[in-house]
Amino acid sequence: MQQKWKDTTVTSALILIAGFFLFWEWLRPLEAITDTGNVYLFVLFTALCFGLSYLVPNGWIRFLLKGTSLVIILDYLFLTSTFLSTPWMQQIYREVAFNMNTILSNEWYLMTPFFRSFLFLILLWLMSYLLHYWFVVAQKYFLFIALTVIYLAVLDTFTVYDAKTAIVRTFAIAFIALGISHFLQRTEGQMSDNDKKWENLLRWLTPVIVIVCIATIVGIYSPKLNPQWPDPVPFIQSTAGHVGFVDESQFQKKVGYGENDSRLGGSFVQDDSPVFEALANDRLYWRIESKDVYTGKGWERSAELEYEPINNHNISWRSFSDSVETTSENTFIQRSENSQLSKVAYPYGAREIRSRDGIHFFQDNQSGMMEYELSEQQQQIDGYTITYESPSYSIDNLQNISQRDPDHIQANYLQLPEDLPDRVSQLAEEITEGEETRYDQVKAVEQYFSLNGYSYQIEDVSIPDGNEDYVDQFLFETRVGYCDNFSTSMVVLLRSLDIPARWVKGFTGGDIKENQPENIPDGYFVYEITNNNAHSWVEVYFPETGWIPFEPTSGFTNQTEFYQETTSQTDSNPVEPEETEEETVENETEEIELEERDDEEAFASIDFDNEEPKYSYTFILMTIGVILLLLVLLGVIYYKRQTIKDWYLLQKWKKISQPMQFEQAYLFVLQLLDKRMIGRKKGQTLRQYAKVVDEKLANDDMIELTKLYEEYVYRKGEINKQDTELRELFEKLMKQIFA
Amino acid sequence: MEYHKQVAEILDNVKKVMIGKDKEATLSLVALLADGHVLLEDVPGVGKTMLVRALSQSLDCAFKRIQFTPDLLPSDVTGVSIYNPKEMFFEFRDGPIFGDVILADEINRTSPKTQSALLEAMEEMNVTVDGVTKSLKKPFFVMATQNPVEYEGTYPLPEAQLDRFLIKLSMGYPSEADELEMLNRTDRQHPIEDIKPVIQRHQLIEMQETIQQIYMDETVKRYIVQLVAATRKNDHVQLGVSPRGSIALMKAAKAYAFIQDRDYVIPDDVIFLAPYVLAHRMILKPEARYSGMNQETLLADILEQVDIPVRRELNR
Repeated sequence: MQQKWKDTTVTSALILIAGFFLFWEWLRPLEAITDTGNVYLFVLFTALCFGLSYLVPNGWIRFLLKGTSLVIILDYLFLTSTFLSTPWMQQIYREVAFNMNTILSNEWYLMTPFFRSFLFLILLWLMSYLLHYWFVVAQKYFLFIALTVIYLAVLDTFTVYDAKTAIVRTFAIAFIALGISHFLQRTEGQMSDNDKKWENLLRWLTPVIVIVCIATIVGIYSPKLNPQWPDPVPFIQSTAGHVGFVDESQFQKKVGYGENDSRLGGSFVQDDSPVFEALANDRLYWRIESKDVYTGKGWERSAELEYEPINNHNISWRSFSDSVETTSENTFIQRSENSQLSKVAYPYGAREIRSRDGIHFFQDNQSGMMEYELSEQQQQIDGYTITYESPSYSIDNLQNISQRDPDHIQANYLQLPEDLPDRVSQLAEEITEGEETRYDQVKAVEQYFSLNGYSYQIEDVSIPDGNEDYVDQFLFETRVGYCDNFSTSMVVLLRSLDIPARWVKGFTGGDIKENQPENIPDGYFVYEITNNNAHSWVEVYFPETGWIPFEPTSGFTNQTEFYQETTSQTDSNPVEPEETEEETVENETEEIELEERDDEEAFASIDFDNEEPKYSYTFILMTIGVILLLLVLLGVIYYKRQTIKDWYLLQKWKKISQPMQFEQAYLFVLQLLDKRMIGRKKGQTLRQYAKVVDEKLANDDMIELTKLYEEYVYRKGEINKQDTELRELFEKLMKQIFA
Repeated sequence: MEYHKQVAEILDNVKKVMIGKDKEATLSLVALLADGHVLLEDVPGVGKTMLVRALSQSLDCAFKRIQFTPDLLPSDVTGVSIYNPKEMFFEFRDGPIFGDVILADEINRTSPKTQSALLEAMEEMNVTVDGVTKSLKKPFFVMATQNPVEYEGTYPLPEAQLDRFLIKLSMGYPSEADELEMLNRTDRQHPIEDIKPVIQRHQLIEMQETIQQIYMDETVKRYIVQLVAATRKNDHVQLGVSPRGSIALMKAAKAYAFIQDRDYVIPDDVIFLAPYVLAHRMILKPEARYSGMNQETLLADILEQVDIPVRRELNR
């Protein structure tokens, strides 16, 4: 190592830089497949570690510098107090103490971002050390390159990460690095002439880079075969019984409820694993939450969730006002085995919720999202009963709105991204031309899609790139999509008409289960809701009435019941009553503030969404951590392989030598020599071989042993030496072989 | 071992004369001790005769020399019955073949008839003259030489008869250093004059008997058999080594082990001897010969191919 440090050359710097870029490829996907923010900081830190490894020869100074930068990054990201002040220290202490507790109690998901980032930085530190050793000291490249390619391939196959360009970059960097390392090996030992070295390096590098560039370009533009085998992902996922969570938006996802909707679009695959079963007398829409901020790419919440406990089973949250006519109904929901859903799905008009085992429920007043808290003994919620008021909306009321929207509704539910293309609102105007009332306008927009050839499709659905707007892309370009496309578009169209609307997620009613249990009340059926039923739709605000669900998606029918006092039915499909809930601004009695991010992450792995759920940050980090650890382990094994082998051989030797088995012992030494030094050629006698070996070892132990052995084999003689003597002889020889 | 000192002394004597020819000296001794005969094939002047003389002079034995010429008659080798007028009967006068160590110089220059007389005596250990068979006494050791350069007027030994010789070897030129040393030594007086016998006749016979007691393990015997079998199976060989060859190799190996002061044979002995014992017992196919192969190179190949036994039990 010391020696290597002395000839720190430009070449090894180049190699290290190439190594860094390769490692960067490991970090890039983090942004896409996890919700890791500030990835650039991690990259920066890695770069720093690489640079320090190269520039600072003193290990202690290096350690100090790296440690300091780690602390600075953590401070920058998480710590609010002044650097190095007492509160700052306390904050760190609290973080560490809290996280140690979570670790000790195995509640990994509760770990705070601070601590996770800390661990991740440590990991990066270790990796930079390992890679520096690999590249600069050991000059071994290939293994890491191969691992990088495998890593990218796996991510590309199983996650949303698109490694298309990454693999090209890896290829180019890898080959240039291999070229440099080859140069290093060739010129090893003749590094004296500095001027020459530069010249040689340039002479070597130029063709290397040119060739790699040409190969890359040819590779990019040459025709490629289509995939030669079917996509393994759906098969693997279905085999793994991995239901519900997929990731966010980008490419192939699985159907299911997911919490992150910030990037909609992309295809997904069907997944019919059950989420829950509901005993109901109707095929209900199961609401889970609504979102109010449209970003141009997807949906987000305007405020963090604030859960309030539901007291006495009474759900105070309403989507529609008390003036709406309702009928009271009951439904029982049973969670399916293996379901990842941690939210409570409820029908419109839910008033009361009870669980058999006294589980506490909480609800967020803004989105209506409901969760439960398990007590310590409980593994999972079993089921719960909901009493709901099935609403029926009077069209007359809806058409005769006398009041204007309340301020808080206007403030929250008319939001649109600033860069929303104008043609979207122009289209909204066109659609609603001639419609007088809000209700008619809403209906016009709702029906617009199916009347104008927008089709429902879950495959090959595009994701907006760059500046493209999700809605704009769907409305004017692709015109195909699934519920998210339709519902989001409707909300955006309505908002551009100043009609308050929000985007709702949940499940459709599912199918009647094949084997209905006996003893269920008349008119009731058990419906099975699977991940395929994950859905999104629209709620529109009507003053006095509240939020009413609409269903713009082609192929789905609005199950909301409307009636006209004039006895004529407006809606063609008044099949099932749906309840709308009324937004009530409730007092916050108790605030249960779960740590926001942790919360999300913990739930993320148990959430559902129309799209796929997203892998949780923790999960991904842990996976990457495990992979990296394995890598380190592999590396250690690789570099210690000689020691490991030696150890194994020593064990074997002990077995042979304990009751001194002369023949085995001798043959063992032959094997050892064969592996370690030089093999016996065919037709070479033991004595000739022994001579060669002894020449190499510069003594005559092997000859001595061989003579004994010859006597043993060719004379059938007894060995007239003590076991201990023999063993000494053997061990003396073996020591030299191992040396 | 009892005779090891003598063996070493004989070799020392020979080495005094034959500088840098240790191997040839050893091989000759192997043939002597194994009760076999040697065929020396080389150009004139490389010390063939000197080797024989040095060897015979180390033994307290009768040394005879037969210079083969085209006009040599069998009786010149075996001896003749001469009428003794005084005693009134035919007296048999022993030919040179009745010596203990015989140098048959330039054996290929004489007629096949005369050659046969010698070869028969070597094989049968007796001589038939005028209907009377006379046994040869032990030790009986023939070193024949032949000159490969002059083919004019020679009668090459039939290949089938070559296997009467246990060992066939050639001397080769000495290295420059050895030759210089040789000049130095022969500057004043030839060292052969200084050689004193170190071993008695009866001792030689005893040694020959001792050698038969040398142990050759089954594994090594099997190795010999495999080697010989390989010469027969080889594609380039027209005529492989005969079973007599196997026996010869075994005998030679024992003698060699004896010289090495060992009472058992190891594969190294066999490998060392194989080129000298086996090479002249096989005939290559003409194609092989034309492609530049000879018996020695072929044997070297075969030795590389046959597995050497390194375990005690055969079947493992």
